[in-house]
Amino acid sequence: MRLRSALSLLTIAVAGWGVLRAQRPFRDYPGVEYENFPLPPDWQQTAEWTRARLRYPSFLAPHGIRDGYRRWTIDYPRSDRHLLQGIRRLTRIDTRSVEQVVDLDGEDDVYNWPMMYAVEVGYWNLPDEQAAQLRDFLLRGGFFMCDDFHGTIEWDNFVASMKRVFPDREIVDLDNKDPIFHVIYDLDDRFQVPGLQYVYSGSLFEYDGFQAEWRGIYDDKGRLMVVICHNMDLGDAWEHSDNPVYPEKFAALAYRIAVNYVTYDLTH
Amino acid sequence: MFEFFFKYPLSVFSRGTFVLLGGWPRWVLWAGLIAVGVVLAYLVHRRAAGSVRVNAVRQAAVWMLQTLLIATLLLMLWHPALSIATLRTQQNIVAVLVDDSASMAHPDEAAGATRRASAVQVLNSGLLKSLQDKFQVRLYRLTDHLERFDKLEQLTSSGRATHIGDGLKQVVADAASLPIGAVVLMSDGADNSGGVDLETIAEIRRQRIPIHTIGFGQEKPSRDVEISDAQLPARALPDSRLGAIVSFHQHGYAGQKATITLREKQKVLAQQQVTLKGDGVEQSETVLFNAGAAGVRTVETTIEPLPGEENAKNNMVTRLVNVDQRKPRILYLEGEPRWEFKFLRRAVEDDQNIDLVTMLRTTQNKIYRQGIADPHELEDGFPAKVEQLFAFDGLIIGSVDAPYLTPTQQTLIHDFVDRRGGGVLFLGGKDALSDGGWKQSTDVDLLPVTLPDRKDTFFRVGATVELTAAGRDSLITRLEDDPAKNVERWKKLPYVMNFQDPGQPKPGAVVLVDALPTTGGRVPLLITQNFGRGRTAVFGTGGSWRWQMLQPVADKSHEMFYQQLLRWLVSDTPRKVTTSTPKQVISDDAHVSLRAQVRDRTYLQASDAKTEAHILGPDGLADTVEMRPDALEAGLYTADWTTPQAGSYLVEVVSTRGAEELGRDTITFRREDGVAENFHTEQNRELLEKLASETGGKYYKPEDAQKLGKDINYSEAGITVRETRDLWDMPIVFLLLLVLRSGEWLLRRKWGVI
Repeated sequence: MRLRSALSLLTIAVAGWGVLRAQRPFRDYPGVEYENFPLPPDWQQTAEWTRARLRYPSFLAPHGIRDGYRRWTIDYPRSDRHLLQGIRRLTRIDTRSVEQVVDLDGEDDVYNWPMMYAVEVGYWNLPDEQAAQLRDFLLRGGFFMCDDFHGTIEWDNFVASMKRVFPDREIVDLDNKDPIFHVIYDLDDRFQVPGLQYVYSGSLFEYDGFQAEWRGIYDDKGRLMVVICHNMDLGDAWEHSDNPVYPEKFAALAYRIAVNYVTYDLTH
Repeated sequence: MFEFFFKYPLSVFSRGTFVLLGGWPRWVLWAGLIAVGVVLAYLVHRRAAGSVRVNAVRQAAVWMLQTLLIATLLLMLWHPALSIATLRTQQNIVAVLVDDSASMAHPDEAAGATRRASAVQVLNSGLLKSLQDKFQVRLYRLTDHLERFDKLEQLTSSGRATHIGDGLKQVVADAASLPIGAVVLMSDGADNSGGVDLETIAEIRRQRIPIHTIGFGQEKPSRDVEISDAQLPARALPDSRLGAIVSFHQHGYAGQKATITLREKQKVLAQQQVTLKGDGVEQSETVLFNAGAAGVRTVETTIEPLPGEENAKNNMVTRLVNVDQRKPRILYLEGEPRWEFKFLRRAVEDDQNIDLVTMLRTTQNKIYRQGIADPHELEDGFPAKVEQLFAFDGLIIGSVDAPYLTPTQQTLIHDFVDRRGGGVLFLGGKDALSDGGWKQSTDVDLLPVTLPDRKDTFFRVGATVELTAAGRDSLITRLEDDPAKNVERWKKLPYVMNFQDPGQPKPGAVVLVDALPTTGGRVPLLITQNFGRGRTAVFGTGGSWRWQMLQPVADKSHEMFYQQLLRWLVSDTPRKVTTSTPKQVISDDAHVSLRAQVRDRTYLQASDAKTEAHILGPDGLADTVEMRPDALEAGLYTADWTTPQAGSYLVEVVSTRGAEELGRDTITFRREDGVAENFHTEQNRELLEKLASETGGKYYKPEDAQKLGKDINYSEAGITVRETRDLWDMPIVFLLLLVLRSGEWLLRRKWGVI
């Protein structure tokens, strides 16, 4: 009887390990701006898709101490949850109501979440091994979107890490004809989307980031695998899309861009 | 020995009819036998009454022996004899057919000479003379045709094939005007025309011509490996992974290693080492190779000769594979943006020979089309007309609920498989199969599974995968050339992210892969079946993309799997005109049969088309043959053509209806001479024995062939006379009488009652 019980426990343990190995479960983290943000009622419901948020070591915590300075949590999780609701409402993507935080920690879990987003990458500082894993993630078919960094200094800092990911791939400006701007919405007429600071300062830009820059990195078959939203703050636009003081036109464009980018990822 | 006791050969008894020549009525014999039995029973019983030494069993034994003795004597008084038809001397013809094909040049180890020399030796050793003494003898040379010859020196063993059936047909035809009393066939039985057909046998039996056969050559070679067949697909798509099923057998090399090589123009396409099974055991091995670029592949399948092989010419066969130039189009309808859609597209993107067109419902009212030929293609949504859907070769239905398609569209999908001959792949998903209401769809027949009645069959639970026995043999699931490594590779594949319970496989369906959910249990994951002219499959997951994301960049498991699955889906999808021939390589045969299936624009059989085959051959040969509609099968056109010489031939079949061209198709075939006789070189004794027994003849070994001189007299064909042969003076009769009488005496002596 003991042997049978032990075998049963072992089977359950192996099955549980298998599920965990297949995909890590959702976990909520304290953010810079939000702590104990309420979970949606259906947060446990499994779904086909959700967006992964990259927990990266930032410039201000150069030694890679996790959460030493939680730049990666900017806008988190309110921005994520709003966006996921939008994706669910505007498309036929079976979307989970909560995001998934992922690490480039050398483990396999990150590969279970092929759509990755990082915020404030002007402050990120990827060590070589993390850069290598991000490269691997992208070459296997993953997709990386970054946003909310402004001006020359932050750009240079972003590029420094991105060059560790792809030393020999160019970052290019996206042509208006690229399918990513037409997969669902025709986004020929894009404009700069400012953060919440616009409400108080009236300025569309931050630092010397006067013009929104839509850039990306293509793979060998002409598919975008990295999309870079420089000199704009789509994260704030999603985050404050329910904020009456934040202009609707910025939030609307931010959603459309996200819908197109996500759909592009799922079709290319 | 038989003849010593019974006076006549066995053949006389087997052919003759038993008769009683005595003048007394037959009933008197029966009455006498009964009377003798009764009287002897009375006498034996009376004389033994009261004797303790002669019990009932002993009385019965004595009675039986005495009755048999007197019964035998009585029977002899009625003059028993055999009535038998005998050929009249010098009034009948005996046809002697001597196999003069190339196989008769092979050594006959028992005789220490060639088979032809053995045959000549048998004839010269008295058989021919004994036949000529009694009959007119006609000598025939048998190859792929029959011709007379006069002197045995004219035999050369140069015939390129042996067609025993055709030769016998000609003899039977001659028998209509000539008194042919018997046929003697001297051969190794190595027939290249597939044996003797029943019609010919029946005609020979009707004419009562006995065929006596004399077999030459070893019945089993000592040391030889022979390829029985190599099955390769007649058509393939460029760069497809193909399997050549090589069947062979061997003698004298059991347990040894041999190497199978596939070559084209000296270039090695594939090699595989095999361990040879027991002597005479038929063995099959599958060798994988790449079809290569479009064009005709002439694939030589060889088992590299082993040391000491008697015949190395039967180690190689040639087959043709037509690698089509076409690029099949597959329409993929997906109901939701999801990872499987993305990664399936990426997996097939590398395949330059499949054109994947996708329709994705991105939002409630939008469809995103990719891979379309022009901006207007599919702009109105999923095809609603026959011509639109039938322009594709295959169809993939993803996570799409059935009601999204109208009843007309669902019927079209059914016809797409059944009539068009296309392939449909159903993927698992939250809106797929049972959960998508396909159980109530008119397309439920198409599915290789009986869908469950519930709608909670899709699970977002990881599941490992495992090949079934059929999956281990299938090319769809072959990720490694080596079968054992392939099984291991499948075991190491990452979990699929989700799975769907597809229900029970239908009879005739084949399960290639099982899913083993981490929550326990086992469900079929990949199931295939043929339906109508086409084929369908269910791949019950939307989570195989994990095979791509969870494995190194260099790993191509996911790409290979989907490319092979989709090639299976469409590689056999027929065009409007599909040409075929039973054999693409004809060995030492001039006849070729051409078949063309002709369909119109909507893939209905077109029986009113004009169908011509334009043939191009070696040395600039060109011919046009009109193909005739088959009386039994609508849309089928056939033609027979005779190849004037060996070489490669290209046939283009064009079918028209009025001014409209319905379609055209090309096929190649090849005629090889001097090949067939290298195969099946051992004596086919079974065929020779069967031929003899079916026609009232007898099979002889060369050493017994001289007996044929006597046996051949008895025949009911030709000009015969009925003779009677007395039986009363057979030594066996006197022996029997002696045994019966002495047996009784010995028994009595033993019992002490003498």
